[in-house]
Amino acid sequence: MTGSWRLALLAPALVVLAIAAAQVILAMPAFGHPLSQYGATVDALVPMLRNVSNMVAAVNFDIRSIDTLGEESMLICAVTATVVLLRGHRGEGMTECAGRLPGRVWLERSDATVLMCRLAATTLFLYGVNVVLHGTVTPGGGFQGGAIAASSFVLIYLGEGYSTWRDVLHSETLAAVEGFGGFVFAMAAMVPLAFGYAAAQNVLPLGTWKDLYSGGLMVIVNAAVGVAVIGSFGVLLMEFMEETRAPKPGDEDDEDQEEGA
Amino acid sequence: MNVLAWCVAAWLLGVGIYGIVTSRHYVHLIGCMTVCQSATYVLLLGIGFRWGAGPPIFYDHPPGTPAVDPVMQALVLTDIVVGAAMTALLLAIALQVHKRRGTLDPQHLRPLRPRE
Amino acid sequence: MTMAGPELAHQLTPLAVLLPLGVAFLLLALSHWLPPRTADVTALVIALGLMVLCGWLGAESWHGPIVHWFGGWTPPVSGKPDVMLGIAFSVDPASAAVAAFCALLFAGSFVFAWGYFDKVHAHFHVLMLLFLAAMIGFCLTRDVFNLFVWFELMGIAAFALTAYPLGKSSLEGAFNFTIANALGSFLMLAGVGLLYARTGTLDFVTMGRIIASLPPDPVIAGGFCLVATALLTKAAIVPFNMWLSDAHAVAPSPVSVIFSGVMVSLGLFGLLKLVAIVFAGDPRVMMLVHIGLFWLGVATAVVGGLMAWAQRHLKRLLAFSTISHLGVMLIAVASVSAIGTEGFLVYLVGHGLVKGALFMIAGVLLARFNSVDEIELYGEGRSIWPAGIAMGVAGLLLGGLPWGLLHDATDSVHAGSHGLAGVVAIVAGTALTGAAVLRATARIFLRWSGVPGVERVAPTEREREKGDRPLWLMLLPCAVMLAIALLPADLAESFVHRAATGLVARAIPHAGGGTQAAAITFALTILIPAASLLRHRPTRRLARVAAHVETAPFYGLHVLHSGRVTDYVVWMMVGLAVLAGWLKFG
Repeated sequence: MTGSWRLALLAPALVVLAIAAAQVILAMPAFGHPLSQYGATVDALVPMLRNVSNMVAAVNFDIRSIDTLGEESMLICAVTATVVLLRGHRGEGMTECAGRLPGRVWLERSDATVLMCRLAATTLFLYGVNVVLHGTVTPGGGFQGGAIAASSFVLIYLGEGYSTWRDVLHSETLAAVEGFGGFVFAMAAMVPLAFGYAAAQNVLPLGTWKDLYSGGLMVIVNAAVGVAVIGSFGVLLMEFMEETRAPKPGDEDDEDQEEGA
Repeated sequence: MNVLAWCVAAWLLGVGIYGIVTSRHYVHLIGCMTVCQSATYVLLLGIGFRWGAGPPIFYDHPPGTPAVDPVMQALVLTDIVVGAAMTALLLAIALQVHKRRGTLDPQHLRPLRPRE
Repeated sequence: MTMAGPELAHQLTPLAVLLPLGVAFLLLALSHWLPPRTADVTALVIALGLMVLCGWLGAESWHGPIVHWFGGWTPPVSGKPDVMLGIAFSVDPASAAVAAFCALLFAGSFVFAWGYFDKVHAHFHVLMLLFLAAMIGFCLTRDVFNLFVWFELMGIAAFALTAYPLGKSSLEGAFNFTIANALGSFLMLAGVGLLYARTGTLDFVTMGRIIASLPPDPVIAGGFCLVATALLTKAAIVPFNMWLSDAHAVAPSPVSVIFSGVMVSLGLFGLLKLVAIVFAGDPRVMMLVHIGLFWLGVATAVVGGLMAWAQRHLKRLLAFSTISHLGVMLIAVASVSAIGTEGFLVYLVGHGLVKGALFMIAGVLLARFNSVDEIELYGEGRSIWPAGIAMGVAGLLLGGLPWGLLHDATDSVHAGSHGLAGVVAIVAGTALTGAAVLRATARIFLRWSGVPGVERVAPTEREREKGDRPLWLMLLPCAVMLAIALLPADLAESFVHRAATGLVARAIPHAGGGTQAAAITFALTILIPAASLLRHRPTRRLARVAAHVETAPFYGLHVLHSGRVTDYVVWMMVGLAVLAGWLKFG
């Protein structure tokens, strides 16, 4: 189909959908007056039942924790997929330096950049860990904190350059961290079964409200998610940044064979 | 005001679809997917919203204070992770396609081609 | 500690998902240090174990569903009857049997792929185990949002596995697959949001109760359209079908076994469960299902059959045949009756076994000859004649051989469908796909050819798959699967009946006419390829005109299946508009 044919077909479809959407919108429950009792019940009961103050974390890591396990699996699955896709023909080897466009002027990294990156990377990582640890108390949690902590890795690349970045971070360690985080989550769901409880049942001591340790099993699950997310994002950053390195002779040769086959 | 949030969600979905259909570049197309997904964020957060309510985090204010629906917020968090995962995957595919075909124009890309 | 059967089943239910997830994460964590073959062995053992577990759970749920509330949030923990806080897995015989069947196909695929994927640590096995966990979760869950989560995980694993060979075509196929299905999943999430906004719950059973008590409501109908669009996209129903022929044709063959064997039919299984449990109380939605989805099924069966006949690339041919058979399954689902559901469940299994076996044979050809093009491979297959026998048997089964699971299932589907259109679509789809496979078999293994007709201009490509495995190892799972498909469905009659009535209680009067249709189908399956293989070059004027008339409609279909993802999105929107418009004006 050419572009105009596509639009000619899309336009009537969108008109019908707009009419349908208008009808749905007019029938929606009034904005700001939700009908659901689900959320309100969680808000009313769970602070007492689980001694936690962050209800979103309670929903994620306790009430609907199997959803979160699926979500975690999705992230790990997508990251593994990205590794397969990007590393497939490139392999895991390293080169001396990042690739460079021919003719572009190359400037030495300034001391100020190095210093700022070192300071900021450390602070950012610790801040991320802090957000993870307080997941059940204040806004944040494993996903958000993990993403913050992992973004400090980019600053290592920026401040130290390609070869140091590759020396500091190892893909097999990051993959192990990622898998370990996911495994702890799965075990946290499985172990209660062996003792006759429901899967992922929160049977640990619940701790104190507003305390760093509050929410029992949620603390472990939250930390596991944080660890897995740090590993996942680390792997992801590494694989995408590897695309910037100078290609070695022998990389990407499969394609030529494919042509010849 | 009552219908604004729902209209925004429908609009985002519509323009996202329009962007995908008229796209001439995979990366632009992936961006349009994200626009479509934003529609679901607006919709879900709108469904959980309650007038005069605060965040569902009882740290500064005691339990019992009116709060918005935490379930919807948790679902949006999942949605965001889905989006991040999907975008990473699609960008990786786009990178590899570009290496092999030398173009990212959807009009020139198709999996299996007739002979001749 | 000893537990009685029901109690033990309750305790083991979550393991059906947690076990593969945990093992996948462990394999990923240790992948750099594991000795070779560990991942192969582990994955195979897990798949077989899950097959046994799910089968046993199915037997245990005979007298009523096993319901496991995660986190111990068993109602009435909220103190209110309509507020379910947690998420439950609910095991009924049908869901458990479908889950066990998924595990069986994975086991077959793992044997078939033995040692094929050892280059990148255990990544293939990690992805496959996550894929399997997602499918089982999708079968067992009782929560709408949780269904979305497994749907999405299934999608992401599938996208990755499609792109795995990193060839040009597999990457573009994976891109199209990802865009179409990801867009579907956003629509599904929006639909879940609408359903939650109106009913205030995510639990299937509670939602169904609330919907039945509400007057007809555009929000519910809109939610259904959006969720159904996602599931129909996964199930590749016309006009949401475009991505499938791209993805299944270019994915590695062990993965295509799973895709065509069970992933796509799971979309319909999910739809059936939602319709039966959640939407049964909404008369407008049920009208859409009975009539609207029935006609989509009819169109899918016919279009898939015609397109399958017009292919030369064997995997693409099989992909279109899958589309056609999904149309037949949708006809069964749309009846939402006990007999239709029986037919659907047996069809799902029978089709999955036969199609899985056929993709394995395509994999054997790829490993041996670096091609699956039936015209290029003319006569090449003689050196591996056992594969030819398997392919012939599979083609006959697909085309309505009056024997085995598929035949019995088709009878039930006929009994559940109504009107001439359903019969014609089922006959046409079955005969055309069976005929296409038999034509390819005859060309590749028997050196019969004729002058290629419309299939000559179909897209094709040379590919490679690693060919270091012995032939018997690749044919073993294929032969086992065909042997199971040859069993008569009567053996499990009472189980299937129990499984179907556990989902759908509605009985309908039998339409009948199945036996005649079966005879016609099988005759056509033999006659169509025979006519094609005996064809000479059209030299006389009349013959040239006839050849032109024969191929003309296929050119139109070829043009529509353009391989461009932007077109596919347009078709998805047209499909969604058809569903919505049918609800409004139909």
